[in-house]
Amino acid sequence: MARKTVFIDFSKCIECRACEVACEREHNGMSFISVFEWQEMAAMALNCRHCEKAPCVEVCPTNALYRDKDGAVLLAPQKCIGCLMCGIVCPFGIPELDLINKIMGKCDLCAHRRAEGKLPACVETCPTDALLYGEFNEIIRKRREKFTEKTIELAKTGENIQLTGV
Amino acid sequence: MSERLVPVVCPYCGVGCRLYIRSVDGYPVGIEYAKDIPNISNELGKLCPKGNAVVEYLLAKDRLKKPLKAKEQGKFVEISWSEAIKEIAERLKAYAKDDPNQLMFFGSARTFNEPNYLIQKLARMLGTNNVDHCARLCHAPTVTGLKAVFGAGAMTNTYKDIEEANVIFIIGHNYAETHPVGFRYVLKAKERGAKVIVADPRFTRTAWFADIYLQHYPGSDIALINGLIHVIIKEKLYDERFVRERCVGFDEVVSAVEKFTPEFVEKVTGVPAELIVEAARTFATAGKGVITWAMGLTQHTHGTDNVRLLGTLSAICGYQGKEGAGCAPMRGQNNVQGACDMAALPNVFPGYQAVTDPEKRKFFEEFWGVELSGEVGLTTVEAAYAADKGKVKAYYVMGENPVISEANANHVMHTLERLEFMVVQDIVPTPTMEFADIVLPAAAMLENEGSITNTERRVQWSFQAAKPPGEARPDWWIISEVGKAIGFDKTGSGGFVYNDAADVLREINACTPQYRGITPERLKENLAGLHWPCPSPDHPGTRVLYKEKFLTPDGKAHLAAVPEYRGPVEMPDEEYPFLLTTHRYVGMYHTATMTMRSEALKKRWSEPLAEIHPEDAEKLGIKSGDWIKIETRRGAYPIKAKVTRAVKKGVIAVPWHWGANVLTNDALDPVAKIPETKACACKVVKITEEDAKRLMEKLPPVIPKIEVVRG
Ligand code: SF4
Ligand code: SF4
Ligand code: SF4
Repeated sequence: MARKTVFIDFSKCIECRACEVACEREHNGMSFISVFEWQEMAAMALNCRHCEKAPCVEVCPTNALYRDKDGAVLLAPQKCIGCLMCGIVCPFGIPELDLINKIMGKCDLCAHRRAEGKLPACVETCPTDALLYGEFNEIIRKRREKFTEKTIELAKTGENIQLTGV
Repeated sequence: MSERLVPVVCPYCGVGCRLYIRSVDGYPVGIEYAKDIPNISNELGKLCPKGNAVVEYLLAKDRLKKPLKAKEQGKFVEISWSEAIKEIAERLKAYAKDDPNQLMFFGSARTFNEPNYLIQKLARMLGTNNVDHCARLCHAPTVTGLKAVFGAGAMTNTYKDIEEANVIFIIGHNYAETHPVGFRYVLKAKERGAKVIVADPRFTRTAWFADIYLQHYPGSDIALINGLIHVIIKEKLYDERFVRERCVGFDEVVSAVEKFTPEFVEKVTGVPAELIVEAARTFATAGKGVITWAMGLTQHTHGTDNVRLLGTLSAICGYQGKEGAGCAPMRGQNNVQGACDMAALPNVFPGYQAVTDPEKRKFFEEFWGVELSGEVGLTTVEAAYAADKGKVKAYYVMGENPVISEANANHVMHTLERLEFMVVQDIVPTPTMEFADIVLPAAAMLENEGSITNTERRVQWSFQAAKPPGEARPDWWIISEVGKAIGFDKTGSGGFVYNDAADVLREINACTPQYRGITPERLKENLAGLHWPCPSPDHPGTRVLYKEKFLTPDGKAHLAAVPEYRGPVEMPDEEYPFLLTTHRYVGMYHTATMTMRSEALKKRWSEPLAEIHPEDAEKLGIKSGDWIKIETRRGAYPIKAKVTRAVKKGVIAVPWHWGANVLTNDALDPVAKIPETKACACKVVKITEEDAKRLMEKLPPVIPKIEVVRG
């Protein structure tokens, strides 16, 4: 099964933080995507990568972290003991401690929305299409296609077309 | 339990995004993206953070639920609707009998077309044209400026045309931050290969996407635009045929821009001459171009001239009357366009029909069955000064918050204190209510229904998604009750007897030529709405204006020659060495009455920060996070500093949502009567946190507590 996740096209992010607000609304007031301002101007949204070899899943002593049928890394709250291991091993520091329930929380790719055939809320709302939901190879292929198209166009017109946002 | 998905229009900015509110038994519980409605302005149902948080403000704990009457300033007792309506009607009637021009009415760009139609009808039937709304403070120059050049004051094209353009010139607004979903179309054009030119004193999120970035000083727009026109004319890059066949006044333009050589413009604006030449060439040779602007351009004493020049720039390049081209003013609030169309303005009847035109007046005299005044009324800022002199004695304020939104707020508060009678109708307590005699609880936009007109002239119907809290009532209902109580109780267009908002829209159809075919039935059926002008019930609406001719009397575009360069009226001097400008945050809206009641937004955009250039900051010994005091000739304002290269040296930029208008200048543009909120001289000093707290106490609170006492 092809593993899908949320990809980010940094060149399109306008730092509007709609993705954060949308995530927070879908997850009881906690947002699992964060937008950072980087060196004053560049912005980037950071979220769970649902890694191929996810260290968080590997390290979890109670198997609270598992994969669903779409390949998303989910957390079973009743099994979580709040030992923080997943947060420590995640290279992006994604799993967060819910201070009230003392268990971890993380991006579930909007499992409840996917069950209804909808996209994760952050992807659905992103006004600039900076967030894409899909399978890695598929997204890479699309980007190559777009790049090739533009290069052909460029060759035809001889104009200097920018390749941002491909 | 009944769960419903109700299609509404976002209550925030002028993009007019559609979304669904999920409600259970009339209680709003969430939203859903409108992915399944084709051809709406937010393609695929995309929303910005404000749109994502719309449910939160509806549930605010301090929503107004009962009519209130003041015992003393800021202290209220609860009263019944009938008492409130009766008292308002009696007071208004008494002033009208004496001299109707003692009354001033405020329409609102944040509520539907129907209440705006009704409030101006009420003002006019009472005998005064003193009715205005906050478009005065944002896009009045757009209306007067575009009208002068093209004959009408609205956006000439649609979002689709931005997407199809080959060049987009963005001046005086941070498009990505103010209208994120609208900016989507800019990025789509750019992906296609379109060039983006951005002119802004701040290096904004929008400038990040610019192919050419022009960082000019606040208020130096006339020089910049004239400079572009100069190059285009000198290099013969303009559309000769279009100029010959469809424009007048070209020769005057040629001589007016003579002295605006790139070198001269560089001196005045601070933009390198080569960049001006490059921008002019890029813009004029693209084949299809759109110009967009907002308050950075309009809020000046020469706002009207700025807009006239942009119209001229667009016209000489032949970028009018065709797809993928045009002039696109970006409206800040959801219904600025509609409130103007409905004539919440002192000089026109609905559909921009001049009150001074005897024929139009005669039509409305017959339509409403009363005698009407042919004297142009007062604008918001003029009303404040008239009230100061005791000429205006009563305000009826619907959904407005002048204490925060008007320039020179200290003067505004002083005026409101002097009024004899003020009614404020809103959904939550605002600092303006502090001065009210009667407070009326209104239903929020999502709690009632009606039509609304977005930036691109698209009229859409928004349905009722939730029950209003307590005794809060729709705006149209409140005004119609007041109207009836005053004695305008005939049925038909001569009175205020309506069953629902659709009834009001039918009356609008009958007297507003542009809206004739925009009936409630059509809007309810077609969720994507209709672009006015739509002159008959079978007309499909109009995407691009001026295909054949302009709306000026001779059908030609009247090019503007502005030979004199004028900067801001108040320039930096020894005492006030910095140039202050204001801007907004993506997650905050207007005077923050709604956004500050949303946890998700409040936590991300929690406080204002004053942007200051690193070199200026170093001279003053200021670091990011330090408290500073900004002072102008009108007031003082404490704020934390953010040291950043995003602003030009010598410029201080503050977001205005938190009441920074105590600083700004209310000098007026002579035509549009807009105050120069965007540029004035200021001084900056570092202060301690205690000093900041002390200063803060003197400012109007953004979220006031309304004190309700007994008996
Ligand atoms: S919604 Fe999109 S553009 Fe906005 S911050 Fe998130 S990723 Fe960036
Ligand atoms: S939480 Fe971290 S380690 Fe686990 S899948 Fe997400 S990104 Fe990978
Ligand atoms: S862009 Fe404007 S209309 Fe659209 S969701 Fe945001 S605030 Fe609402």
